[in-house]
Amino acid sequence: MSSFAVQHVNQVFGTGTARVQVLHDVNFEAEPGTLSLIMGPSGSGKSTFLTIAGGLLTPTSGTVTVNGVRYTDRAKKAKDALRLSEIGFILQAYHLLPYLTVADQFKLVDKVKPKGNLTPAALQNVLATLGIQDLLHKYPAELSGGQQQRVAIARALYPDPAIILADEPTAALDGSRVKVVGALLRDLAIRHHKAVVVVTHDSRLVDSADVLYQMQDGVLTKQN
Amino acid sequence: MFLALKEIKKEKLRSGLIVAMIVLIGYLIFILTSLALGLARQNTDAINSWGITRITLNDNANVDMRQSFLTKAQVGTLTAKDALIGETATVVKSAKHKQVSAVFMGLRQQDFIARKLGLESGRRVAGKRELVADTALKLAGYKLGSKVTLNDHTFTIVGFTNNAKINVAPIVYGELSTWQTLRGIDFGPIASAVVSKPGSTRKATAGTKTYAKQTLIDKLPGYTAQTTTFVMMIAFLMVISLIIIAVFLYILTMQKLPNYAVLRVQGIPSRVLVEATVAQSVLLVLSGLVGATALTALTAVMIPASVPMAFDVPLLAAVGLGLLVMALIGGLIPIRSVLKVDPVSVIGG
Repeated sequence: MSSFAVQHVNQVFGTGTARVQVLHDVNFEAEPGTLSLIMGPSGSGKSTFLTIAGGLLTPTSGTVTVNGVRYTDRAKKAKDALRLSEIGFILQAYHLLPYLTVADQFKLVDKVKPKGNLTPAALQNVLATLGIQDLLHKYPAELSGGQQQRVAIARALYPDPAIILADEPTAALDGSRVKVVGALLRDLAIRHHKAVVVVTHDSRLVDSADVLYQMQDGVLTKQN
Repeated sequence: MFLALKEIKKEKLRSGLIVAMIVLIGYLIFILTSLALGLARQNTDAINSWGITRITLNDNANVDMRQSFLTKAQVGTLTAKDALIGETATVVKSAKHKQVSAVFMGLRQQDFIARKLGLESGRRVAGKRELVADTALKLAGYKLGSKVTLNDHTFTIVGFTNNAKINVAPIVYGELSTWQTLRGIDFGPIASAVVSKPGSTRKATAGTKTYAKQTLIDKLPGYTAQTTTFVMMIAFLMVISLIIIAVFLYILTMQKLPNYAVLRVQGIPSRVLVEATVAQSVLLVLSGLVGATALTALTAVMIPASVPMAFDVPLLAAVGLGLLVMALIGGLIPIRSVLKVDPVSVIGG
């Protein structure tokens, strides 16, 4: 069984004349060690797919399964717990808490989820891989955009999730930075054995992907 | 608590400004409370020091000791738990010092009030021409042995006593017979009032009425209006502080909602965010209250004795607790927004 599966998901917003179907029978699977790229133009349904995949939105119909656990119809608390332990988010704007140092960003996770996170040695290894091991006492405002992004990646990895969901991770980056981020995401998949799912409209990431999907008007199609 | 502490540590200026505001509000409320209590005590200090529970006055006196005259028949038979008092307004005059408006209280030296009278210095009254005065006269320059005149009669101050004020005026204690002389009724009424301690078995007499001590206090001229005014001021200040603190915390929380949305995306439960919001409110208000307490303590040390302020720790602690509760209520107002924060808002740029 796949570590992450989205099956027959439909999403409808509004009713009557305001009814809009954003996702049409979406099916998707991701395995550990692979980087899946979901591409599509703005308004194609990528973000809605990501919110449903991440358990932030309950689909009109269909299911989402993580490591065999179907959580689409679970209570809010259970979804929170599952998201905290099994899904790591990398957001477009990095969104690090401005009043927490890099070290505190990890401590916060420890406060809420004391067990199952990366060991100090493993975290140190991740930080070293990302080149941010010397930034632990810095606040986000003291970091460059690239450093903030790498901290956001480390934060997403820290609870040791099975899946990493990345939302437009290369938006507003130049070509050389896109390659670096692509390599980082690929490294996450291979070295850390995660199922990495990247939602983007940035075709420059195609070379980094193992599996490519296209989202068009709410229909997800696997590319060859 | 973790998030609250980290934010306060990082945002020192913003947190400092809020704490400073709470310090000022708390200080204002503490000072007003102390002033209200000080003034209230200046009305009631003497009455409370007597240790009485009831007072009997002429039933036409409208619960005013100064307007009450009791004949020997109206006084009736007294027990050891009863005492006679003769009260009249007077002016203490001396060639060397400024005049002081005061209240003369005539006592029988064998009664419990005279026997229990605590002295700050000097001795008790032992003759018709001797007085024990409130220490306010000492602050006005009068000394033991000072010759003073009351209604053209000359007396000697032989002692000073603390907390002897009624209706904000200092008391001069003397003989009960002196009261008759000052009122010019040497052969008429023998006292203004009979005051009784708990357990008195004195029987009621015709033409008199017995009141509880609190009734007498409440009827002191201006007392109820004054205390009600202060209580209303403090209550309004409490409500205003609730609104101010709530507005500040609301703005503070609203600014953090995008951050909270990110935490919700990560799976951080709403409970943690609510705890952080409440903890931040409590920490800021507690810091403010500590500052306000320090300022109040400094004021208590530095304020001149003539200013009628009383710093009662249990009362101020209760007021501080009231402020903390108000702040907690204020801190709870933005909780609904925290609980409704939409994590989806940070997805999709």
